[in-house]
Amino acid sequence: MVYDIANLRVKIENQYEYTTKFCREYLSADQTSPVDLTACVTAEEFAKEKAVSVGFSDGYVENICLYRDICLQLPSRNRMLLHAAILEFDGAAYAFLGRSGAGKSTHIRLWLQNLKKCRVVNGDKPILEEKSDRFIAYGTPWQGKERWGDNCSAPLRGLCFIEQAKENSIVKLTPAETSLRLFRQVLMPTVAQDAAKTLEMLDGLIAKTPAYLLKCDISEQAVETSFAVLTGKNYFENKL
Amino acid sequence: MKIKDGFVIRQVGGEHVVVPVGERSKEFHGMINMNKTGAFLWNFFSQSHTLEEGVDALCGEYNVEKDVAETDVKRFLDVLQRNGFIE
Repeated sequence: MVYDIANLRVKIENQYEYTTKFCREYLSADQTSPVDLTACVTAEEFAKEKAVSVGFSDGYVENICLYRDICLQLPSRNRMLLHAAILEFDGAAYAFLGRSGAGKSTHIRLWLQNLKKCRVVNGDKPILEEKSDRFIAYGTPWQGKERWGDNCSAPLRGLCFIEQAKENSIVKLTPAETSLRLFRQVLMPTVAQDAAKTLEMLDGLIAKTPAYLLKCDISEQAVETSFAVLTGKNYFENKL
Repeated sequence: MKIKDGFVIRQVGGEHVVVPVGERSKEFHGMINMNKTGAFLWNFFSQSHTLEEGVDALCGEYNVEKDVAETDVKRFLDVLQRNGFIE
């Protein structure tokens, strides 16, 4: 079937029903026009993933492989996977990044609980597209364990790396600091030209998007801290 | 002396970054970060050159004393050698 994902026509050749259900909100109304890319899984890729996915169904394993195949084809289409949770507030997207367990989900929940006009674009594996002056963040069917996300997109206005701390603070990161942290959150292709393109997009992402390090606890003050700096708006005027 | 094929080098956020590609990505994981001098030498030794040629090139590029350049090039090549990046 053909799906519209990140403004691309993506043909997914799955064997298992799992992915058909998983992607149904992204099904394209046009199943016949040419596609931008085709995703499929080789027996070898499937076996390799199966070996490290103990306890998961074959449909799930195939689904993981399919997304990897899609993502590895993205650089040549000016797009890339970012491991992040993306929130949209008032038409702009903000990416929250960190190691698993750093408190991304907790922090996102605080934004959703406390702010108006706020929704999750994607909770885990959004796609970014590079434009001349900015990046666009797209929702995808791959939304992480909380299943947070929507089939929507918004211009990316900030990157926010999260670390747990006892006190709340936020500082701007230099391009060099951002570069080191971003590397842990992307899928690096092994085809030379795609790897080069990914590095070039990362350079563009750093140049076009301000990046911050948020050290935070799980209180409302954590949201006040990140909201004001990321959006440039007054927290109390936008509070629910 | 020549660095193995199968690496891509680019500037990301002002930092010079090298990543392995193709078959090389199966031997090495992750990325290598280097400063401007490191990137210059990386590009220089992507073609086959002697240590002396590297020292001369570095002196020509950065206007440094020959003995300082020699120490730098030796240290650079030593790190690469130990990590298996040299053919």
